[in-house]
Amino acid sequence: MNEHDEKWEREINALLDGELGEGGMERLKREAAADRDLARAIIEAQQLQQAMDTIRVDKAPARLRKRLRAIPRQERTSRLPGLWRPQWAAALAAVPLIIIALTLVQPDKPSARDVAKARRDLALAFAYLDRAGHFTAREVRSEVGNTLTDAVAGAVLRDIKSQYQSAKETKA
Amino acid sequence: MVSKRYRQWVKDYQDQAWTLARYLLKDAQEAEDATQDAFIKLWRHQETIDPERVRPWLMKVVRNGCLDRLRRRRDHVELHETQVGADDQGPLEGSASSELGRWLQGAIGRLKEPYRSLVVLRDVNQHSYEEVAGMLELSLSQVKVYLHRARKELREQLSEVRP
Repeated sequence: MNEHDEKWEREINALLDGELGEGGMERLKREAAADRDLARAIIEAQQLQQAMDTIRVDKAPARLRKRLRAIPRQERTSRLPGLWRPQWAAALAAVPLIIIALTLVQPDKPSARDVAKARRDLALAFAYLDRAGHFTAREVRSEVGNTLTDAVAGAVLRDIKSQYQSAKETKA
Repeated sequence: MVSKRYRQWVKDYQDQAWTLARYLLKDAQEAEDATQDAFIKLWRHQETIDPERVRPWLMKVVRNGCLDRLRRRRDHVELHETQVGADDQGPLEGSASSELGRWLQGAIGRLKEPYRSLVVLRDVNQHSYEEVAGMLELSLSQVKVYLHRARKELREQLSEVRP
């Protein structure tokens, strides 16, 4: 047999594939009886076939089987709109808790009504102090005269007025 | 319904896909990744694939994915040539029932493309010639000629180790 004889190669492969009819089989046998190379090629092909029969399709490892089964779940998750993915859902769930916590720890802010009342109280207090200063000045004047009055009551009045002025500036 | 159909495909084809990837890549971990990638594509394209053609479609995707990986791994042949049959984790371990079978697995692993894919798809996975032609985008006659050459090469190697 010529090693490059494609015709015989086709016949041998057809034999291996079980596609060689009875007529073809007989013809091949007759040729092989007269051609040692062809006979050897047929024997080698049958040995190869026997070896092929010992090879099985391998069973996929358990780890791979698990990975393949998980694909639908992973794909569904990855296709969810961004805000519905688990990590974002957890973050969203945390938002109300954060708002509540911030509200609880925030210091009380006085209302406008409270501020107005505080201002009125402060003005009343300064008016009282002003009147008290004038009263003190009159008392001192009647007892020790004008010079000492200015030294004592004048300083008190100036101090009261200065505090009143800075308080007004702060409020403004 | 969709999940049920997909699960059936996994059950039916995971072993064949894995076997093909394992022979082509000669690396268990990478073969797992390539097989998973192919099944992800199957999941994503399941609505557009003819249910009758899922197996050849999947094998084609597995093979193309493996060839892409091999291209990225430039020195794959030299580096891993001797590993076929010796890897402790891959399908080549224990999948042949004889010494001769293990030798043959190594010999198949050393074939060049597309011969290796042809032998795995046709002789190991037992796909029809028509399916193999579709998977490899070859004509039926090309598939037969290439397969004859691949088998002849294996036959000659076999005759050397088994006088």
